[in-house]
Amino acid sequence: MKKRSSILRYTLAVGVGAVLASQSLQAKESVKVGVLHSLSGTMAISETSLRDVLLFTFDEINANGGVLGKKIEPIVVDGASDWPLFAEKAEQLLVKDNVSVTFGCWTSVSRKSVLPVYEKHNSLLFYPVQYEGEEMSPNIFYTAEAVNQQAIPAVDFLLEEGYKKFYLIGTDYVYPQTTNLVLFEYLKSKGIPVQNIGGGLRKDSKGAVISAGNYTPFGHSDFQQIISEISKFAASGDACVINTINGDSNVPFFKEFAASGLKSEDCPVVSFSISEDEFRSLPSKDLVGHLGCWTYFMSIDSPTNKKFKADFQTWLTKTNVPGIVKEGRVTCSPMVLSYNGVYLWKAAVEKAGTFDPVKVMEALKSGVSFDGPGGTVTSQKNHHLTKTVYIGETLENGQFEVVETLKDVVGEPFLKGTFK
Amino acid sequence: MMITNKFNFMKTLYLLFSILGMMGVVKADETKAREVLVALISSSSKSEEARYVEDLTELGDPIIANVVASWRVGEISYSKSQDKVYIVSGFETYEDLLTGAVISPAGDRAIDRPSRKLRKKLSRIVDFLDLKSPDLEKRMAASRKFGSSQKPEFIEVLREFEAKQDDPEVAAAFRESIAMSLLENGTRDERIQSVKLLGDTYVFAARDNIAKILKDASSGETVDEELVSSCKSALISIDGRQDLLDIVGTLFRGLSTGSVLLLVSYGLAITFGQMGVINMAHGEFIALGGYSVYLVQNYVLKHFGESSVMYEWYFVIALPIAFGVTALAGCLLEKGLIQFLYKRPLESLLATWAVSMIMQQALRLYFGAANVSVSSPEWLSGSYDFGGVMMSYNRIALIVFAIFVVIVTSLLLSKTNWGLHVRATMQNRQMASSLGVPSSRVNMLTFAFGSGLAGLAGAFIAQIGNVGPSMGQTYIVDSFMVVVVGGVGNLMGTAISSLGIGLVDQGLQPLLGPVMGKISVLFGIILFLQFRPGGIFPARSRSLDD
Repeated sequence: MKKRSSILRYTLAVGVGAVLASQSLQAKESVKVGVLHSLSGTMAISETSLRDVLLFTFDEINANGGVLGKKIEPIVVDGASDWPLFAEKAEQLLVKDNVSVTFGCWTSVSRKSVLPVYEKHNSLLFYPVQYEGEEMSPNIFYTAEAVNQQAIPAVDFLLEEGYKKFYLIGTDYVYPQTTNLVLFEYLKSKGIPVQNIGGGLRKDSKGAVISAGNYTPFGHSDFQQIISEISKFAASGDACVINTINGDSNVPFFKEFAASGLKSEDCPVVSFSISEDEFRSLPSKDLVGHLGCWTYFMSIDSPTNKKFKADFQTWLTKTNVPGIVKEGRVTCSPMVLSYNGVYLWKAAVEKAGTFDPVKVMEALKSGVSFDGPGGTVTSQKNHHLTKTVYIGETLENGQFEVVETLKDVVGEPFLKGTFK
Repeated sequence: MMITNKFNFMKTLYLLFSILGMMGVVKADETKAREVLVALISSSSKSEEARYVEDLTELGDPIIANVVASWRVGEISYSKSQDKVYIVSGFETYEDLLTGAVISPAGDRAIDRPSRKLRKKLSRIVDFLDLKSPDLEKRMAASRKFGSSQKPEFIEVLREFEAKQDDPEVAAAFRESIAMSLLENGTRDERIQSVKLLGDTYVFAARDNIAKILKDASSGETVDEELVSSCKSALISIDGRQDLLDIVGTLFRGLSTGSVLLLVSYGLAITFGQMGVINMAHGEFIALGGYSVYLVQNYVLKHFGESSVMYEWYFVIALPIAFGVTALAGCLLEKGLIQFLYKRPLESLLATWAVSMIMQQALRLYFGAANVSVSSPEWLSGSYDFGGVMMSYNRIALIVFAIFVVIVTSLLLSKTNWGLHVRATMQNRQMASSLGVPSSRVNMLTFAFGSGLAGLAGAFIAQIGNVGPSMGQTYIVDSFMVVVVGGVGNLMGTAISSLGIGLVDQGLQPLLGPVMGKISVLFGIILFLQFRPGGIFPARSRSLDD
């Protein structure tokens, strides 16, 4: 209850702030932008960071003169980790607040829930979190990593390193299921025999594979059985684990993994849902040498990234938005992809010369670029981004060290059935 | 370039092997090893690195393994201005790696880490060192690794080593490793012999290789009958053994899942089962226990450091603290709220639910919404190899502790004066109090004891799972379920039902997968309660209001 009321207070504060801001700036000089993330419920842990980085980006742009001479006026709403509520809130943003663009969603199910709303109103949504692909709405722009910008490069890296057996494990919902199915096809196309892909297969009545890998429910906490299966799988050597477990189930998974005596030198785990932010609650010493693959790492050594990190920390100390945690903050890929999204939108608006979502989407499709903290990103015709992919290995201090960089990887959402 | 490098590396390893084989023991040359390690860590060029790695393989001093282990986890730092390499040797104390003397480090030191490739090579060197480790377990594990790699150059040396092993078990491990390698590299007769040996000793790691040989042998033009039949019987024997191990493993895992359930529900069995209080904040007491461990861990880390003896025992220190903190919280809850609600169970449900939410939010405000990380001390990490079934130490500790809790609780309740008072009060509050039992104090202490048990459960869960503000939510439903299935009011029932649920859960998982397994267990419980609404041991009572 307390949480609810703090959110209420927060929305009130933002509302009052917005009114004050619009009075002082005059309504004409601002453009309304929606922020649609879960600020309460299970996903709040991850999504609040995106709200924070978005507010930071708006302030940064406003301080430099805004977009087309107008200040950005954020309208923040709370999806509350409740998927139907996401659709309601999106409707509210589009109809009542009349926002020009929305930045939001984390889980695929929340995106699927708001998709019809954006298509109905022909508006524009930027989606920032790695996802399973197989989707290209005319009204969504995916700054997220597509499967070929995360899972496929990671598997390529493992194949290059000489691993021959792959165990697939994930949480039971759309992202891991789809990704693993694509990976299953991909591994087969690379000559990995089916018996070397662990975790089990489910086939339909015609014998086509409909699910590959082992799945656990959300919040699963007992991984003994699965780890014993992995140890057996890895007994003959050259094995690795592809982990699409989401959320805090990763903690018992890695604790059990370490307790069983498996080490990253013998059987590395590559995880797609663990970024610097999630890493903070994991026992990092047990995780040394496991792998991650993202299009941004906090440890990237570039002037743009250094500036981004420093500016964000400064903004955190100065901001007076209630409910923002100020200490121990890290930056991670979904945050940077949100940041990139805002700047790409800005560039597209300036190219189109208007805030009209349809024309902005046209401008995005014609290709605009932004030099972000993770390298240059360019928008593509298929609503995805061309960007740099990094493979990193985990260090004992909760950071990743980049071990491989792949420049200009073109985002490709439709992969199912393309590997023969 | 790459290939020749690799070849050289392998050749040197082989050389090391032969030297070890011929001379038996290489004179430990620690000073030289330290020099090379320092040179390796401070070097910046790849070619130099490769040379130093080769030097290391020729040295073979035990210090190499220690330094490699520290290097991996960021306990090695390098100062450019002083050209010195430091290794963390205790809490905020540093040793000069070259001399081994404790010194105060230079200000510009930075943590140094080996690259991925280098780490793999180093891990190989450590494996070689382990071949002559005094720790027999390590020796066997290392020999198995070399066998599994199936590189022909290792066979001869493994043979020489095998001849020198005094311990029959270790010698057998070496023979298995040799056989593993011969599967790939041996002549036809050697392969048949290896297949037979590996089958007879149930080496699971060889299963895939034998299956492959079988496939190749039976698909070719001329079928090698003897090879095929020996492969087949080896596979049958390995699989048979594996089935047995699976059963033993499932029993162990069921026992440990049961112990988790038992620990989280035992406190509730007292507060709900015995006292009749529906305490929805039970889950938050578990979280409180988890956070107590986290705080103790941080305190010890801050004041004593990670390599201190204190850190090794922080968990033991944390247990009574976790119990004390949650017992105190339980005490406050009973005095402040529950004592007014003994006759109004519905209100106590709502009130404790509110308490649960207040506690959750308080934890979230104080510790942050993200989970916190708790790591295990050395003696609780790793696992014990029970004839092929891996039993992790923290799970073993959990099972032992669960048994301990059951015994202590039942002794307390049946053998002490307090226990007599508790049982009297729980049966009939008014009657007990009119007979002179200080029932309000007994109520408070019993509730505190039940809450304290929840705290202990949280402490153990911190070793195997998450510690976060909403961790209690994960366990509250399970705990009520266990208590109801066991029969409300019966402690033994709770113990038996948690064990049963744990075993069924782990038994179904390999067959149905975690998702369907969980669903089946819940479905089974619904069915069970349909036929036995009172649980395994229904409470019998003569009072009219039951």
